[in-house]
Amino acid sequence: MRHLDASAMSELAARDPQAVAWFREHLASPCEACETFLATHTDPLDGRTDALLLALAPARKAEEEGATVVPLRTATRSRRFAPPPARYWGWMAGALAASVLMVVLVPLVKGPARRDTGWTGEKGPGRITLELAVVARGTDGGLRRLDSGADVASDEVLLLRYHATESGTALLYQQRGHQPPELLGRFPLDAGTHDLEGLDGLAGVSLESDEGHLSLALVAFAPGEPASEQDALAALEADGSPDARPGTVVRFDVRVQSGQTLAP
Amino acid sequence: MAETDDVTDAVRRATQGESSAFSELYRLTRPLVARLVAGFGTLSPDEAEDVLQESYVRAFRGLPQLKSPGAFTPWLLTIARNRARTRLERRSLLQRMEEERVDPTPETVPALPPTLQVERDIEVVRQLIAELPEGEEKKTVQLFYIEGQLSAREIAEQLGVGKSTVTMRLERFRGRIKRELLQRVLAGRWD
Ligand SMILES: [Zn+2]
Repeated sequence: MRHLDASAMSELAARDPQAVAWFREHLASPCEACETFLATHTDPLDGRTDALLLALAPARKAEEEGATVVPLRTATRSRRFAPPPARYWGWMAGALAASVLMVVLVPLVKGPARRDTGWTGEKGPGRITLELAVVARGTDGGLRRLDSGADVASDEVLLLRYHATESGTALLYQQRGHQPPELLGRFPLDAGTHDLEGLDGLAGVSLESDEGHLSLALVAFAPGEPASEQDALAALEADGSPDARPGTVVRFDVRVQSGQTLAP
Repeated sequence: MAETDDVTDAVRRATQGESSAFSELYRLTRPLVARLVAGFGTLSPDEAEDVLQESYVRAFRGLPQLKSPGAFTPWLLTIARNRARTRLERRSLLQRMEEERVDPTPETVPALPPTLQVERDIEVVRQLIAELPEGEEKKTVQLFYIEGQLSAREIAEQLGVGKSTVTMRLERFRGRIKRELLQRVLAGRWD
């Protein structure tokens, strides 16, 4: 008596005639062992089985669940870093980051001509030195590295990567035109080169419903420095003038064009 | 359960990069996925929502590899089930040793059987449920799969049993259905 197990399943997948013949007969009647195996193991029948079972109940209206945020396309402007969208972007971007961003960006930091490679940076006076690289992710999943001032499409999402000389904390702001800066989130910084990542995962800035000039500013504070929102705003205001304020500011500008992902 | 024309059409458009098609796919299929996830009684509502969202992110990301638009829903449901199980496993100590479940590649989903076949299969399943001995398991299956209103958590409350008990009963029944389907595949009815 042979029951289903992993090796039996691979024989069946390979259409092994003996296995097929045996299980065609054996599975024609209930078998506790085989059913338990099938219940707990993943195989290509899972989706069909569930689709079949879920088709037994009366269909629910599509709108009934009332979900408005499609988890590939974040989010309203005011909740740009609201936990769910940020998390799901982060979740996805995380996988990308491991493969693509690493390759694209890390060599730039190590390379000699770093100033000309799309990093924008500023040395704080004796504090954290911070640089920022930005990658746009299109709806097709493609990534392209941006230079500050670049055009981006409103259906793209910006992923941020920083290089910091020491660990600390950072506040990320966006600023549209001459409007006051809006806080997008607060992030821990680690020394070295990393994706900007909050507790909910990697930060992705959705550009939906934006158009025109958008400036992102990351304000970094070393561990000893006060790092309130007020301090960050003060640092933003003093941006460029080397006064004694705490905080290091790095900016990145994009121009958001409505519509489809731009060609790389 | 046969892929509706709407879903198939939206999959086609989404594959071509039409972004509104993603919203439509989400709107059309979310009730099914939510229902599947609701069968995992030990997932909190927040976790269930996480699982649902993760499933879509994965499915949408893998969409370009989907060979047949008609295979979208089963594939999405497979991903959702894997996500739910992974989430539950993460809680257990086993998690340290066990690799995350890998999403199925779209090609491994068996081809869609003709609609008539599907309707016959649904009848077979109904019959199987009707033939179950009267008792808690049958009640659970009826509440979850036939009436399709209550989540596993709610069923647990109604029947006065543990949340994991309900999920185990549903899984057990599902194993039975999978056995039936596999037998059909082997008997050549799906090829
Ligand atoms: Zn057996």
